[in-house]
Amino acid sequence: MPLLPCSLGQVLTTVAVAMLLAAPAPALAKKGEQTSEPQRQSATKKKVKRKNPTQTAAALRDGDAERRLLEISQLTAQGRAREALPLAERLVRDHPNFQLAQLALGDLLAARARPLGRVGDVVPAPAVAMAAPPPVAGLKFATATAAPVPQPSAAPQPSAAASALPASATDTLSSLRSELRLRLDSTKAPPPQGSIPAQFLELSARTRHAIAMDASRSRLYLFENTDKGLVLVADYYASVGKLGTEKVVEGDQRTPLGVYYITSRLDPATLKDFYGAGALPINYPNPLDQSRGKTGSGIWLHGTPPDQFSRAPQATDGCLALANPDLERILKTVEPRTTPVVIARQLQWVKPHALQAERQSFHAVLEAWRTARSHGDMQRLLTFYAPEFQGLRNLDLEQWTQTLQAEHRTLRGRSVLLKDKSMLRWTDSSDTMVVTFGELAEGARTGTTRRQYWTRKGAHWQIFFEGVIG
Amino acid sequence: MKHARRPLAQLLRVATLSTLLGMSLAHAADDYSDITQLLRAGKAQDALAKADQRISTNPRDPQLRFLRGVAQADIGKQTDAISTFTKLTEDYPELPEPYNNLAVLYANQNQLDKARTALEMAIRTNPAYATAHENLGDIYAKLAGQAYNKALQLDASQAGTLRPKLALIRELFSVDAKSAGAKGSATVARAPAPAPTAAPVAAPAPVVAAAPAAPVAAPVPPPVPVAAAPAPAPAPAAAAAPAPAPTPAPAKAATTHNAAKDVEKAVQAWASAWEDQDMGGYLGAYAKTFQPKGQASRAAWEKERRERIVGRAKINVGVSDLSVKVDGDKAQARFRQQYSSGNLNVSSRKTLDMVNQGGRWAIVRESTGG
Repeated sequence: MPLLPCSLGQVLTTVAVAMLLAAPAPALAKKGEQTSEPQRQSATKKKVKRKNPTQTAAALRDGDAERRLLEISQLTAQGRAREALPLAERLVRDHPNFQLAQLALGDLLAARARPLGRVGDVVPAPAVAMAAPPPVAGLKFATATAAPVPQPSAAPQPSAAASALPASATDTLSSLRSELRLRLDSTKAPPPQGSIPAQFLELSARTRHAIAMDASRSRLYLFENTDKGLVLVADYYASVGKLGTEKVVEGDQRTPLGVYYITSRLDPATLKDFYGAGALPINYPNPLDQSRGKTGSGIWLHGTPPDQFSRAPQATDGCLALANPDLERILKTVEPRTTPVVIARQLQWVKPHALQAERQSFHAVLEAWRTARSHGDMQRLLTFYAPEFQGLRNLDLEQWTQTLQAEHRTLRGRSVLLKDKSMLRWTDSSDTMVVTFGELAEGARTGTTRRQYWTRKGAHWQIFFEGVIG
Repeated sequence: MKHARRPLAQLLRVATLSTLLGMSLAHAADDYSDITQLLRAGKAQDALAKADQRISTNPRDPQLRFLRGVAQADIGKQTDAISTFTKLTEDYPELPEPYNNLAVLYANQNQLDKARTALEMAIRTNPAYATAHENLGDIYAKLAGQAYNKALQLDASQAGTLRPKLALIRELFSVDAKSAGAKGSATVARAPAPAPTAAPVAAPAPVVAAAPAAPVAAPVPPPVPVAAAPAPAPAPAAAAAPAPAPTPAPAKAATTHNAAKDVEKAVQAWASAWEDQDMGGYLGAYAKTFQPKGQASRAAWEKERRERIVGRAKINVGVSDLSVKVDGDKAQARFRQQYSSGNLNVSSRKTLDMVNQGGRWAIVRESTGG
């Protein structure tokens, strides 16, 4: 496996590919009146908190920079740009490489000098200087005491000056706008309280955490698996591949979709600065991907380079890139090998009890498999395996049958017990269940951890991959 | 052009100052007129001498001290001017004008935060002080430009893209003239030189033009602008001022450009040799030092390539989004490779590291981004 993952030297280029969602960002385009009261309160509350002396330390906490950015944009939307400006200055001071914060600051400052069209209303100087009489006379300061109210009507027409920006800057600008929109949308419409992504059918108590990525929102969700079930503890903006998702072949600059596991934790000291706080590789291509002939490797969750707090929504060569403080929290939290990472185009959020029936019906499938295995009824057992079965090291079903028989002999008539079951369901053109469990012979103290990939064929589930992973 | 009237602006502001003071001054207005006239005639040195001489007997006179500051600024003694105006703000915190001029001086030194603070002070002392408002608007615009540069990761020294509006900043004085003139005709009337003379005033114009020529690329404008007056130049220079600073080392740029062209050609030749299944040309595109990835030896790699290429169905190798970086004898070509043969159709990112070997660019490393 190549040591360098998805990006071979893509270091500084911010080639924005497919964002161009030139929609005016809601924050600035929205007038104050539309903002609801609760938001206003929460903004005020936060502001009070901000005064506390531990604030500097807080600046480095995960998610903090985004919270502050959103507060700034909220204040601006409420026509309270004057209050927003010092907050933006502080944010930029704490995170000078946070491009969106610089953009917000630029807008807030520019708004003091001229009416503002839309987010990132950049006017390049030459255009201004070229205009015969410098537009000083045009500056009206009659309204200077009132906060400048951005005019949404001005938004759709891109200022003529913007076209004078170098192409790379225009791309950067439009990807910054999408980043802001994505961040705003995600926080404005959080997942319904107490709901979980439908993929997490069941997680064993030994799985302490889980991660789910919603590519459509550029949002990564971190869960803690408590005795009351999965609880969402944090969510972060995260970038995907330059060409989006659904990785198929090596080099396609796409992020894979599916159910994965973190395989290891890479020491940042051994990584280039480009990867920031560290990296967590995932097991792409997994057995499902392999059965589909997908190629590529080195898909990581990693941080951001020193000069960028966060990267464009579509920026990587297939990895998931997060701001360093956010990644640090994940690095500290997750456990290699047991933490699942679901990457979906769009997450479907459900109440845990809604999965109850599905969970039970698959328990029954697994129980039938366990019974056949305990009885050593090979004929019966083999009905659970798909003809296209392929185990580790390309074992085919015939070879695997021998393994199963050998395993049965060692049981010497004892039955098999399953514990710590985890079931992750992935549905795309086919329906896949990724099952992990501890397996031990009755009366034995220790056993093995087994992972199976089941595929649904009509009403039946069959195993197309199985291996002992620990 | 507006900036041409800068000295007048100062004069007017001075007049305004005395009005605002609203106290009986030791000297009649005329006692300042010799100094203001010298200033207007571009004889800042003489004006300074006169002001200094007068101050020795009237050390606290704000009007004289203000004129001294203006003269110092005109001569280019920025530091002196700053200290003169700073002391004025300490002794007469109720006057907005010294704050305003302080801000202009700071702005010329690119100390935008200080300029901003000074202007905010000017406005605090006199919320209706239009000049400070306008100047502050320019400072905000300049600060916004800096923030935008950082947001878009543009190097301020590279390309003029978002360079702050230097010309504008230097015109603060003329802006002043306009608003001060509008404010009260009384003040204008008081000024001894009426209807001043577009002509003599035109002389300082080149300041704006001359100064930027040198410093454009430098992040901090040199502290000259106000004083460099003497150089006579035609007015239109102001517009020409921001004109691009000469590109550094055009010769080198040109060779790099040619090299890039050669690298592009080499990449295209490599792709077409592959397409043509011309193994001589294909393998010849690789340097002797080429290190095949995951292969024990060069020979093993060549063998594998032959097997994969020769006798295949029609091969197409498309190269698009080619970008080339040349660094002396080394180059890196990055592109999207569209490979197809038979049913196989694969698009991937490819990077070729190349070296120039006696005028020929050869591949030393081949990698697929993934």
